Amino acid sequence: MFGIDLGKYRTLVVSIFLFLLFDLGVLVLNFVISSEIAQDAEAVNLAGRQRMLSQRTAKAALQIEKQAGSETPDPRLPAELALAADTFERTLHAFRNGGETVSGGGKPILLARLDDAAAQDILTRTDAVWAPYRKAMQAALAPGAGAETVAAMVGRAEDTNLQLLGLMNELTTRMEAIAASKANNLRMVQVGGISLATINFVIILVHFIGHLRRADRELESARKQTDDILRTTQEGLFLLDPEYRIGTQHSRALAGMLGTGQPGGANLLDLLRPVVSQKTLDTAREYLDLLLKHEVKEKLVASLNPLDRVEINMSEAPGIASQRYLKFAFNRVKEGKRVTHLLVTANDITRRVQLEQDLKESEERSANQMSMLVELLRVDPAAMQEFLAGAGSALDGMNALLKDQTEGREAHGARINGIYRIAHRLKGDAAGLGLSSLAGNVHALETQLSELRERSDLMGEHFLPVTVRVKALFADLEAIQSVVTRVAAMRAAVVVDPPRPAADAQAQALQFVQRWRAYATQIAQRRQKCVELSYGGIDIATLDAAQRETIVGVVNQFIRNAIVHGIESPDERRVRGKPAAGQLSVYVMRNEEGGVDLSFRDDGQGISTERIRLAALKSGLLSPERAHTSTDRELIALIFAPGMSTQDHADTDAGRGAGLDAVKEMVVGQGGRIRIGTTRGEYCHFRVTLPAAAARPVQPASEEIKA
Amino acid sequence: MDEEQLRIFVTILQNYFEQQTLRAAEVGTPFLGEPSALPVFDYTAVIGISGVRRGCVYFTAPGELLRDVLLRVGEPNVAEANLADLAGEIANTISGNARRDFGPDFMISVPVVMRGRGQSIQVPRDAKPYVIPLRWSKHLAALVVSVR
Repeated sequence: MFGIDLGKYRTLVVSIFLFLLFDLGVLVLNFVISSEIAQDAEAVNLAGRQRMLSQRTAKAALQIEKQAGSETPDPRLPAELALAADTFERTLHAFRNGGETVSGGGKPILLARLDDAAAQDILTRTDAVWAPYRKAMQAALAPGAGAETVAAMVGRAEDTNLQLLGLMNELTTRMEAIAASKANNLRMVQVGGISLATINFVIILVHFIGHLRRADRELESARKQTDDILRTTQEGLFLLDPEYRIGTQHSRALAGMLGTGQPGGANLLDLLRPVVSQKTLDTAREYLDLLLKHEVKEKLVASLNPLDRVEINMSEAPGIASQRYLKFAFNRVKEGKRVTHLLVTANDITRRVQLEQDLKESEERSANQMSMLVELLRVDPAAMQEFLAGAGSALDGMNALLKDQTEGREAHGARINGIYRIAHRLKGDAAGLGLSSLAGNVHALETQLSELRERSDLMGEHFLPVTVRVKALFADLEAIQSVVTRVAAMRAAVVVDPPRPAADAQAQALQFVQRWRAYATQIAQRRQKCVELSYGGIDIATLDAAQRETIVGVVNQFIRNAIVHGIESPDERRVRGKPAAGQLSVYVMRNEEGGVDLSFRDDGQGISTERIRLAALKSGLLSPERAHTSTDRELIALIFAPGMSTQDHADTDAGRGAGLDAVKEMVVGQGGRIRIGTTRGEYCHFRVTLPAAAARPVQPASEEIKA
Repeated sequence: MDEEQLRIFVTILQNYFEQQTLRAAEVGTPFLGEPSALPVFDYTAVIGISGVRRGCVYFTAPGELLRDVLLRVGEPNVAEANLADLAGEIANTISGNARRDFGPDFMISVPVVMRGRGQSIQVPRDAKPYVIPLRWSKHLAALVVSVR
């Protein structure tokens, strides 16, 4: 209609148009018929006036006759007669043919010809009666007219008066009937028009109520579907307006994702402000503006989306912080070519991100473990398990020393020395097994302890780096344990030969001796020296765990001590008439009391009491006077003192002065004793005796060291 | 968590006692605790941590310590509610300063205060927490950091 696509409103518009058309028709007809009724009323009045005029002419005619003999006749009578007769005639003529006459007020009035046949008949008959009467009046009113003409007029008036009155009555009645008929027609038109309009209205009502109810049902169904989607979807769905406001219709999941009760109506950027950086926020605003206000293709700018991985940190409950990752995707919503909103889809990608992180960590762990794997594959599994158990206990021992909160310089000093001894032994054991990275980390701990030892203002909090390092060592052990478990699983999967019997003493012995030899060779190579290790005695696997652990730990320390301090370089040995390779002889034997004797001898340069004297003086172990007066025996006993080393610089192998200190602690801890024999330039011989398990003290026995 | 980050927590606590009470808190030797046997005194304020690292940090103190702190700062009301408020205030100080010092890598939750020595604090089970003992005016308290 009118070139406008009215769509579903077409019927409604047509119905309303018809309603208005009916109303307008009734209005127009009403106007026309009312005008006609008004004219008819005027005509009825004029017809009534004709009755009065017929009587006035008769009356005037009679008065003129009566005053004919009077000396002072009323001069107004002829004029009155002429006016009445003229008005009567003009009105009669206007009724018959249409034309102008004068109204009751003397104003000209135009009358339409009466179309009604009955009325025309009355008018024809009136004209027949009126014409001779009119003629008689004109003769009587003519100048110089005599009494006979007046008498003739009066006679005519008497003859026609009643006739004219009757005809004009008839005319008035007829015209009243015509007017009544028109009024009736008007009512009919009004009733008909209003009835049609009402019917139309009812049709509209019925049609549209049905239509509206149908539309409501469809709308309700659509709304329910939308609600169901928004209620159940796991995604955050919402519309974003150009002011970055979130629409009131959004998925229920959105509130949980954003951690806010009512996200509808809130500004998205304001919600993100506390959880993302200012830079991300600024970029997000620019990106949204780009989508909302500029003609750029969505796909082209999609890669610029700064909100495709947003980290949200929130407190789900007091005291518990949680972290989630959200991904926001934006699509334009257009009306015509204008972008009105952005449809935003928010997804919780926490699980995916965590899996990615876990995978990355796992890959990193695997990469780290690969290098460790190479080291561990060379180690005998039983020895490794033994080492891990011992190392775990060692770290627990260090932590126990940290946990002891005794304050004071002495207590701190004892703590440092205690941790030192454990660390040194752990380092030796780790190096003995070829676990170089672990040995390096323990060495770093020793360095920290050395720095602490130098502090004059030592307090509890200064141990913080030590605690952190101990925790790192726990983590190292855990990593080794994890790899060992995997290696064990792999070995179990690939071994086809039956396992060797555990009672193969010779093989077991060979293994621990091989480890000592490998360890000795490793240190010797670092020192550009050459050594050979020979072993005699029992299989240490037959010892109980504590004895075995102590023997292994002590021998490791003796090997290191002998190569670093005792064995000379090959050139020097040749000069002294010794074989280029230093000889290390180890002997382990059960003694008569059920205990264990260990003999460790090297053919190096022996113990230099002068070097011990200097080192003791330098480290403050001896005062200058005491250093001067100490006997060789007393000086040699000092090699077991904490912090005593004759090496100037600490390295992986020595220099901390903790090796023999650790040996003393291990042996004394078992209730054993150490004796030293040495000849300058020829040898150094350690003899260690460990008591049987039953004779071992609960508390460390008082030390007995003989030089 | 490295030494530097642990020291931030320790320094925050030391500064708090120093500034509020004009008496320093002595830090004991830090050690590693067992997740199942951590020190818990009468009042414990727990702060959750997420982000690059996850876990929690808590400050735990006996009622006597908190009462003496209140009295020292001129607060005569040492009712239980006030002691809990003080523990919360200390935790807020820790979390507020930690937010500033750690930056966006650490998300620090609103602290929660728990009363009673029988409370079980949820810490990650697979990591040995740092226990940093504190002594203020002869009272022992502890800061426990359990972050993976």
